[in-house]
Amino acid sequence: MKTGVTLFISSAVFSIVIAVAYWLIAHEPVGTFLLGFMAFALSFVAGYMIVAERDADLVGDEKEAAPDDAAGEVLGTYSIHSPLPFWAGLALAVICLGLVVAPTLAALGTIAMLAVGALFVVQSR
Amino acid sequence: MHGQTWPSVATTQASVLASDWRIFTIAGLAVAVLVWGLILFAMARWGRARRTDALPPQFRRNNALEITWTAIPLVIVCALFVYTYHAEADVEALATHPDVRVHVNAYRWGWTFAYTGGPTIDGTAADPPQMLLPLGRTTRIELTTSDVTHAFWVPDFLFKRDAIPGIVNRFDLAPDKVGTFLGRCTQFCGLQHAHMTFTVRVVPPDAFDRWVHGGAS
Amino acid sequence: MSAAAAVVEPPRNDLLSWITTTDHKRIGILYMLTTLGYFAVAGALALVIRTQLARPENSVVGPHEFAQLFTLHGTAMIFLFIAPFAIGLANFLIPLQIGAPDMAFPRLNAMGYWMFLFGGLIVFAGAGTSEGAAAAGWTSYAPLSEIKVSSGIGQDLWIVGVFLVSVATILTAINFVTTAFIYRAPGMTMWRLPIFTWEMIATSLLIFMAFPALAADLLLLFVDRHLGGHAFDPAYGGNAVLWQHLFWFFGHPEVYVMILPYFGVISEIIPVFSRKPIFGYTGLVLAAFAIAGLSMGVWAHHMFTTGAVNNPFFSFMSFLIAVPTGVKFFNWIATMWRGQLTFPTPMLFCMGFLMNFLLGGVTGVMVASPPVDFQAHDSYFVVAHFHYTLGGGSLFAIFAALFFWWPKIFGVKLGETLGKWCFWLLFIGFNVTFLPMHFLGIEGMARRVSTYPALGNLPILNLIATLGSYVMLAGAVVFAVDVIASTLKREPVGDDPWGANSLEWATSSPPPEHNFERLPPIRSERPVFDLRHPELDPEAGR
Repeated sequence: MKTGVTLFISSAVFSIVIAVAYWLIAHEPVGTFLLGFMAFALSFVAGYMIVAERDADLVGDEKEAAPDDAAGEVLGTYSIHSPLPFWAGLALAVICLGLVVAPTLAALGTIAMLAVGALFVVQSR
Repeated sequence: MHGQTWPSVATTQASVLASDWRIFTIAGLAVAVLVWGLILFAMARWGRARRTDALPPQFRRNNALEITWTAIPLVIVCALFVYTYHAEADVEALATHPDVRVHVNAYRWGWTFAYTGGPTIDGTAADPPQMLLPLGRTTRIELTTSDVTHAFWVPDFLFKRDAIPGIVNRFDLAPDKVGTFLGRCTQFCGLQHAHMTFTVRVVPPDAFDRWVHGGAS
Repeated sequence: MSAAAAVVEPPRNDLLSWITTTDHKRIGILYMLTTLGYFAVAGALALVIRTQLARPENSVVGPHEFAQLFTLHGTAMIFLFIAPFAIGLANFLIPLQIGAPDMAFPRLNAMGYWMFLFGGLIVFAGAGTSEGAAAAGWTSYAPLSEIKVSSGIGQDLWIVGVFLVSVATILTAINFVTTAFIYRAPGMTMWRLPIFTWEMIATSLLIFMAFPALAADLLLLFVDRHLGGHAFDPAYGGNAVLWQHLFWFFGHPEVYVMILPYFGVISEIIPVFSRKPIFGYTGLVLAAFAIAGLSMGVWAHHMFTTGAVNNPFFSFMSFLIAVPTGVKFFNWIATMWRGQLTFPTPMLFCMGFLMNFLLGGVTGVMVASPPVDFQAHDSYFVVAHFHYTLGGGSLFAIFAALFFWWPKIFGVKLGETLGKWCFWLLFIGFNVTFLPMHFLGIEGMARRVSTYPALGNLPILNLIATLGSYVMLAGAVVFAVDVIASTLKREPVGDDPWGANSLEWATSSPPPEHNFERLPPIRSERPVFDLRHPELDPEAGR
């Protein structure tokens, strides 16, 4: 995980430097805002990862780990099928289409999406 | 008329632009030939090696080499940047007192050339307008548009600039060759974009003076 | 490590099982086949464009049809083929390469695919409307794309379709990064990840940073068109350049989204057919992130002629990107150096990639110089440049990936003879099509023109380019024939038909539903190679 943390910290630092340099050199507000927001977002993730990394204990990070180290007891059987993603994708497409063609369609799509969301919550329990 | 052939580099700015093109083309081709050469050499030299059971040497890194092939390109691009920075500044420099001013308005789908202290020329795709310019003098172009984004391009001048609503773009043209040069819009602007052309005709300064003060074409 | 004779039922293969799948392998296949379909359509559009441009003042199509053609061609190639093919390939490969049973969020993964499919269909649906499909280019510049000028509903369908695809892309990128960080098998440390997986992490970061800018731009345009907004209208205090800033802040990283995965593909295939490890692994990883980071700061090199941006800043940043890209090239050549090279079809396409992308990269450095760009911008020179990188580069890498991983995905090998024909037709056809365009641009031919005058060298150069495009068509047809023939022949392959390196070759072809019966020990970035050569130290020379 340390590599991941380093990656995000470096990205955050780099973006801060670029945002500041861009403002000083170009004085252009749109680009500065975009770069600045990017710097903020990366710093946010970097900060979160610094905190999260303390608790990270990934078997994938151990250089000498053997395949059996990740073996554990069987937790359960999980289906590799679910109808929800298809219906969610379709509902979102209907919403988008409705925004262009007819607001009623968008409303129907929103209701469908909420229904799918509810089913998802139920399925995840 | 010049147009759609190898550019005739007809302004002093264009000469600077052409030099920049030459430097970058030479540098680019040099790098390309070198790297293509390395690739083809490797393919030829080790491509016909018979596949034996013994593996080839399994080397993975060489710090000195990797640092070198990072540092040298870095130096090269920095040098290219310094050169291009000065070339651009040269081309975009605005004369304190241009000899001629033309206000150019691009629209769907034609051009209006309004000479300060002179006539206004207008033309569309059916009958493209002609901009007359004096040889050896500096003309200030003030470019804008009354509708969507267009662009003013004269390939023989190696130069274009966008026409953006709400913005007036200023640049100088100092023609150093007589002739008639094709110009066109390059920012896609709709149905007649392909035919939104104009011409620039460079004439000796006395002919230009006669024309601009009302009279002979 | 072939699959033991475990008593598992063969996977269901009915339509419903494909519509409800959350298996990353199937989702990857769905993506790749769908994108190949969009490629066929976008390619057909290109052939109509080239046929129209074969002769001056031609009348195969009129200007409005032509505008729809190049808009849909660009939109489909970029949003519906090059980028999502990589997403599909990554979907299939990442869990296998890191030793995981699936992605971190399988249902989110599947939803992303359906959003992508429907988004693309919505974009194309515009072609069936009375005013036609979107016709403002894939870049959809305002004010041209505003309702006053582009009044057709096709433009709105383009906006929402692309928006849907964009959101899907962001969600999928979340899956990639999470999976690669969290679900690595024992011993698969970050610095033993295959280069392809590293490139996908960098690509995902780019997606996070870039796509929201596009989504914002699309939202603003939609509000302008239908809800009384004036974001891009200077008469109301708006700014026409704002569209370009937001678009290219997305648009430039997008082209790196479209090349980094394919750098990864090249980095996987060249070592296999050189019988050597990838040279400069650390340098390749650092270069990927250097490219990604720098690419966020170059966007206005697409705006050099606006007069509204600081050209030197963007010129310098754009020059800098050439350095890590060069590092990658030297690493690939060093991988081949003193190796034992063989040239089956995947390797041929890698060589084609190297030769083509190099020219695209060189012309890229050229147009990063504003004085050059003052001539090249919006001309056929820049059309040549981006086709050399995306066509000569990404497309060739896509074919390399198809020929290399087809046996793993489908359990059959594509034919070698047809594969070689496919390569040579594409390589020759591609270069005959796009090399002349450099000269067309210099000599004054603008892009996005439905026709041109019968002057100078324009007619002959255009004709040559059109003939080249028909040769490319032949290459694509040969590929289709190869697919059909190999599917009919059904010659099965084992786990590792190429003698390859990474973990996906440690399981059957195709893999079982749960990916691995048993994982080998992982001590380097090529665990399958280490398995074949127990006499060598996996960590030697690192």
